[in-house]
Amino acid sequence: MLVDLAGGWNPLVGRLAWSQIPYDNPILAPLFVAVVLGALMLLGLITYYGKWTYLWREWLTTVDHKKLGIMYIIIGLVMLFRGFIDGLMIRTQQAWAVGSQSSGVFGALHGYLTPFHFGQIYSAHGLIMILLAATPLLVGFMNIIVPIQIGARDMAYPYLNALGLWLTAAAGALIMISLFIGDFAHNGWFGYAPIFELQYSPGVGVDYWMWTLQLVALGTTLGGINILSTIIKMRAPGMTWGRLPIFVWASLSANVIALTSFPALQVALALVAADRYLGAHFFTAGLGGNLMLYTNLFWIWGHPEVYFVILPAFGMMSEIFPTFSEKPLFGYVTMVLASIAIAGVSWLVWLHHFFTMGAGPYVNSAFSVATMLVGIPTGVKVFNWAFTMYRGRLTFNAAMLWAIGALFLLLIGGLTGMMLAIPAINYMVHNSVFVVAHFHSMLMVIVYAIFASVIYWFPKVFGFKLDEFWAKTMFWLFSAGTALVFVPMYMLGFMGMTRRLDYVFNTAWQPYLLVMELGIVVYMFSVFAFFALLYVSIRDHAKNRVGADAWGTSRSLEWITHSPVPFYNFAVVPQINARDEAAWRRENGLEHIQPDHYDDIHMPNNTGVAIILGGLSFTLGFALTWRIWWLCLLSLIAIIALVIYRSFKGDPGYILTAAELEKMEQEAIRRASRIDGGHHLRPVRGDGWAQERADLPAAGTLYGLSSPMDHHK
Amino acid sequence: MSHGHDDPTLHPEVQMSTSRGYFLGFAISSVLMLVATFLVTSHSMPPFGLLMVISACAAIAIIAQIYFLLHIDTSEHNIWNAVALVLFMPLFLITIGLTWWMFSQLYLHTMIMPGMPAMVH
Repeated sequence: MLVDLAGGWNPLVGRLAWSQIPYDNPILAPLFVAVVLGALMLLGLITYYGKWTYLWREWLTTVDHKKLGIMYIIIGLVMLFRGFIDGLMIRTQQAWAVGSQSSGVFGALHGYLTPFHFGQIYSAHGLIMILLAATPLLVGFMNIIVPIQIGARDMAYPYLNALGLWLTAAAGALIMISLFIGDFAHNGWFGYAPIFELQYSPGVGVDYWMWTLQLVALGTTLGGINILSTIIKMRAPGMTWGRLPIFVWASLSANVIALTSFPALQVALALVAADRYLGAHFFTAGLGGNLMLYTNLFWIWGHPEVYFVILPAFGMMSEIFPTFSEKPLFGYVTMVLASIAIAGVSWLVWLHHFFTMGAGPYVNSAFSVATMLVGIPTGVKVFNWAFTMYRGRLTFNAAMLWAIGALFLLLIGGLTGMMLAIPAINYMVHNSVFVVAHFHSMLMVIVYAIFASVIYWFPKVFGFKLDEFWAKTMFWLFSAGTALVFVPMYMLGFMGMTRRLDYVFNTAWQPYLLVMELGIVVYMFSVFAFFALLYVSIRDHAKNRVGADAWGTSRSLEWITHSPVPFYNFAVVPQINARDEAAWRRENGLEHIQPDHYDDIHMPNNTGVAIILGGLSFTLGFALTWRIWWLCLLSLIAIIALVIYRSFKGDPGYILTAAELEKMEQEAIRRASRIDGGHHLRPVRGDGWAQERADLPAAGTLYGLSSPMDHHK
Repeated sequence: MSHGHDDPTLHPEVQMSTSRGYFLGFAISSVLMLVATFLVTSHSMPPFGLLMVISACAAIAIIAQIYFLLHIDTSEHNIWNAVALVLFMPLFLITIGLTWWMFSQLYLHTMIMPGMPAMVH
């Protein structure tokens, strides 16, 4: 042992002990019982209905990018719910523990949470919301939509894609298990030196935090590599860079950020691990350590990361506004350049997270100007969206409402961001809840864009639309909650309330805190509305079935294939003729044209390796947290051996024959024509109408003959 | 259907590797590391000169490794790797350079000068 550990350690179970299980905690113990009962019930139901084989074959071992994307989104939504509950607990504590007269229960002097427990909750809230809710939700959407938008059959590396998902799931499992075994970090989601050093945080909380971050960083980096390779190498014939849908451009720039910045986080955390496990002194207060170097390294990743999450959200908005304005996106080229500019500038601004470090006027001014530069490409985007809607034929359905909500929040978050970019103001409101309100506004842009996308792309993935009434109800409840929570938070920030208070000394702030509590209750109703939305939509799904072009005004390539998208995406890889291919085909009366013959296609096989590697990574993270060295070694060897085994085994894939393909396609076409009513899907050959017009390409060129699996060989 | 992908050793990246290249890359980086280690342990140079020399050694070792071990060049098969590396360079310079600048300014303002007696514990 290179470091002194507080508490016991034994070679068999490391630092684990019965006393680490919080069975005496009045909040966690009932929750634990509920979770165990819920899990048993779920497992029982799966067994009762005999769904284990189905689950293993169709989901747990799948390499289909759409199913992986759906699982990413499910993980994201579950973690979003967990993060929301953390938020609810924070708001309740702050509304309760105000002034010295406030009561206290469950061992707390004021409110119902002890300071140590409260610290864990806000740390978990931040980490979960950014890395295990927003990130998986966005990666999930990129996973589902990007390959279909570029006319590919799957990702460039389907197995790597599955591995990325299961590493993210392992990270989620690790942070969830910290609820019931041991405790979580209390150093905020980004961590501070030297409080996370072993002598100040002797428990396992910081270790849970560190290894969770490492796992999610690894998973996201692998996902980023995959999406980049897919966009560069797997585009359908005719899908030139100038015709790439804008969401693909946004994903491209976002994943360039992910690929370049996540390693900085992993290095920073590896150095923290060296301090905590090997007794090194990178970030200690003495012995040559440098406290601020940690903050510096963290935000070198941390700031690019916030653009990694906002850029796909911008891409989603850029898809939704044109569809429901019935106009092409205004300023495509400037939109692309703005995305790339944001990605570039994201690397030049990280010091604005610690202006108050005291680097002096020159450094602060330079980073202040760089930060304000971000406003230029972002402003370009906002104006482009506004001009897209200007004189458009607007449809205010639920997806559009969420997207417009995102636009308003971007305005609020962006303008307060400009204020914070000024060091003089930053010094005044540093560490106040004003900052918290600002970055919540920005993250709400992402949440709004995600719910807009859930509604917008749901029919493409599942073949039926979500219920409009409940989607709109959820929108209005959510927006009311947002206003009630964050307007008072901005005001309290100006009044000087600092963040992360487990006890609020100033009773004058109580009215605002109570309004915020009301806001979070309204948020809870929007969560109920979301459950109702899912229930009602699934109940009525037969009524709400849609054809390929679910909205009738869609523009990009994903809308020309069937809804739900078959597992091979496109029976024949389409030939791309225009920037907005679906709109182009519709305007030229070509949308119902189907290929007249099919070729064999080459598809990847399912694999159980990815989920096993995910499980082993979770074991490794857990063993490292509790310092069970034999288990660390065992799981690490197993991971390496399995990776080598899979590399040598490879995957020859399998052939889907033209006959099988034709049968499935005929079925899909029959289903679609029942929904579309009068429309007839016409085969290309023998269709005179399209070929009579000289300005259109011969209809035979609408579908290329090669599949992407062939075409990159 | 499954032509070309069956044998991974036929990939151009794999074909580019030679044992001579790997040996050269390993030898060059080992020699440079030994030189740097010797200079540091023998205290035979003033601190600034030492910093310059070991930085130069590190730079040469990096180039040798990129060329001999990673095979990054401008050939048709590896141009994307070269592009990725070139695009990565500015980020490297930005993060290291700006970090150096902000910390030197910080030390100036907090009067912690590297090498000051207060820093030696």
